[in-house]
Amino acid sequence: MSGGYNEIHPEPTTFWSKYIFSFDHKVIAKQFLWYGIFFLGVGGLMALLIRWTLAYPGVPFPVIGNLLFPGSNGIVPPDTYAMLFTLHGTIMIFYAITPILIGAFGNYCIPLMIGARDMAFPLLNMLSFWFAFLSGLVLLISFITPLGAAAGGWTSYPTLSTLIGSPGAGQTLWCVAIFLFGISSTMGAVNYVTTVITLRAPGMGYFDMPLTIWGLWLTAILNAIFVPVLGAGVILLILDRIMGTTFFLAGASATSGSGDPVLFQHVFWIFGHPEVYILILPAWGIVSDLLSFFSRKPAFGAKATALSMTSISILSTLVYGHHMFTTQMSPLLTQSFMTLTMTISIPSAIFFANWLGTIWKGSIRFDSPMLFSLGVVFVFGLGGLTGLHLGTTTTDLYLHDTYFVVGHFHYTMAASVLLGGFAGTYFWFPKMFGRMMNETLAKIHFWGTMIPLNGIFFGMLLVGYGGMHRRIYNPFIYESLQRLIPVNNIITMSAILMGAFQLVFVYNFILSLRKGPKAEQNPWNVGTLEWTIPSPPPHHNYDEIPVVKCGPHEFGNPNLKTGRDFQYQTEELVQA
Amino acid sequence: MTFKRSEAQINLASNIVIISMAMLFATLFMGYAIYRSSAPVWPPYGTQKVSLLLPSLSTLILFMSSFFCHQVLVNSRKADFKKAHFNLNITIALGLGFMILQGFLWSQMKGAGLYVSSGIFASLTYAFTWIHFAHMVLGVLALFYLKKVLKPQTQNILTKTSSVGNFWYFLEIVWIIMFITLFVF
Ligand code: HEM
Ligand SMILES: [Cu+2]
Repeated sequence: MSGGYNEIHPEPTTFWSKYIFSFDHKVIAKQFLWYGIFFLGVGGLMALLIRWTLAYPGVPFPVIGNLLFPGSNGIVPPDTYAMLFTLHGTIMIFYAITPILIGAFGNYCIPLMIGARDMAFPLLNMLSFWFAFLSGLVLLISFITPLGAAAGGWTSYPTLSTLIGSPGAGQTLWCVAIFLFGISSTMGAVNYVTTVITLRAPGMGYFDMPLTIWGLWLTAILNAIFVPVLGAGVILLILDRIMGTTFFLAGASATSGSGDPVLFQHVFWIFGHPEVYILILPAWGIVSDLLSFFSRKPAFGAKATALSMTSISILSTLVYGHHMFTTQMSPLLTQSFMTLTMTISIPSAIFFANWLGTIWKGSIRFDSPMLFSLGVVFVFGLGGLTGLHLGTTTTDLYLHDTYFVVGHFHYTMAASVLLGGFAGTYFWFPKMFGRMMNETLAKIHFWGTMIPLNGIFFGMLLVGYGGMHRRIYNPFIYESLQRLIPVNNIITMSAILMGAFQLVFVYNFILSLRKGPKAEQNPWNVGTLEWTIPSPPPHHNYDEIPVVKCGPHEFGNPNLKTGRDFQYQTEELVQA
Repeated sequence: MTFKRSEAQINLASNIVIISMAMLFATLFMGYAIYRSSAPVWPPYGTQKVSLLLPSLSTLILFMSSFFCHQVLVNSRKADFKKAHFNLNITIALGLGFMILQGFLWSQMKGAGLYVSSGIFASLTYAFTWIHFAHMVLGVLALFYLKKVLKPQTQNILTKTSSVGNFWYFLEIVWIIMFITLFVF
């Protein structure tokens, strides 16, 4: 362990060095949080535009329709529709989930929860944010290019994404933005991995780290290894688009010696499948901790949980072919990928059973972070099960490219990560900003999110199973799909409802930021290190580096005589 | 503002950076292997191989630069910073020489009728050398950084020297693989 310096950096004094170009991990975390929430709003609005089109094709979008699409009387035009689903996916994955879960919680929690004064490389940390900022800017600029933004799907498959499929500058800028974002992620990953390895407080072994840190750490490792794979893919795509190479052009469009469009799919998914775990691991970690904290019980099999997360991360590098069952790969390969995919069920089941074991017979406190965590247990369970249908080649041949896939990944990724992110926000808000959020509004927000959310995503599973394909402007030109219009109406209504309830969150967030009651040092009665210091923490976090003597989940020990039902990690484990 | 750091941190971070970049190049070489193995003949009909003269010279130069780069570390270990700077200058000069030769290589390829858009063989040759070149720019910048800090008072100077050195060797290894795959076979 250790061997890292844990010095106190001088406190910044000017506005610029304090809030804009800050080296402080806590400030950078908040910058990522605002950035992520902004893009969550943009991506959310796009989702509503998509949903409106699918439920009421040919009907103008209410209220702001005429403002957004004056040329078509407020109706979303077909080419815009393709841009919307492309940028919705891109924004939500790279510009909302990644900054919030990895950028904000990663930056905030890692140093605080391992007892460090900052990241190992504060300057790199700042650069990581500003590269992400630049990347977001490039993506936004792509909207105002002559032919509009990228429209080849978030997966950007050639030939949709080559000059033949999308001649405008939008797709090129998309690639540039993704590359810049990749640099930002890699910088973050270098920092996170190094910090966790070298700056843990004395006494903190790997299994004494909160599971949140495990999740973030594994995510960072996967990021460092697999983001460059996508980087290589988009560089080649950029060269195809502006320099005239022919990597992804096949047949007559390539001059001498054929390129290979399907190669991009391989590259994309070699990155892409680890990426879905990159996104979910931080949420898993947060939820694994919160379930224990609010059940007032030690996390059931915490070591096994950490090890299953690790084995899932390792296995996630070997299964990418399940996204490509329909690309005419050899049956030998599809069977191998199917078997490997099913192998992930083993650690996943251990992991999931440990969640249930943690809340089993706990004295559960239904505070808002816990409600959202329980929400994750439900939606992730459901989403994980739908993965089995897709991972099985025979059923996937039917389900591939239908809304069933969309439902699956919204349950596993969108719903789980969103709810996990809210759980983390409600939980750490007092530490971050020194004020409490309003609990009643939080509960309204929870139910107002959870119920419509299932309306949306279960509806997607249904229409997908019914044969409705994804990414079609108006599916109901096919007579066989017209009977799915009512379900699509329900999905869209649920989406509008869920969107509306997010305003409760925004209101609560801003209100609490300014007027919330002052938070105590440890409002949730939890023993991890960040709760041993004031809320919000001072610039250098710890006056004295803490010494860790027990694990993060020491609750309900019958030998405790302190009047508390939990122990701080800085306390010796109480024995009989 | 300067931050104190330990050797372990610098070592770890620089190794992770190299692993990340290695994954980028590994992806490129995977692509190469697929194009190559699915082509009926190599290079494809109508394309000619690039003359080996310039690439061989480049390989030699880069190999020599790595040798001198290693000497920088050896000198620094013996606290002979004067010699270390001398060897570092040679390393930088050879690195720049390599980059100039790459320019000649590209114009030679163009002169021989091999344009960027002349098909998959040209795509691979140009794109890989460009991407390697972009990393060489980073490598030379790292050498200049080392030039600036190479003195006995600098914190962790040996670790910094060996980290920059590792990056430089990494660039050489990538080039050698490219030399063998793109030009020799
Ligand atoms: C529980 C085990 C899981 C299995 C067996 C599984 C299996 C699959 C399969 C086979 C597909 C391809 C379906 C098709 O295109 O025909 C797929 C798509 C997808 N899955 Fe999963 N998955 C699992 C968990 C997850 C998790 C945890 C996430 C994210 C956090 C996730 C995110 C995605 C995404 C984003 C896509 C589709 C992307 C696209 O085509 O646009 N999956 N999954
Ligand atoms: Cu997958």
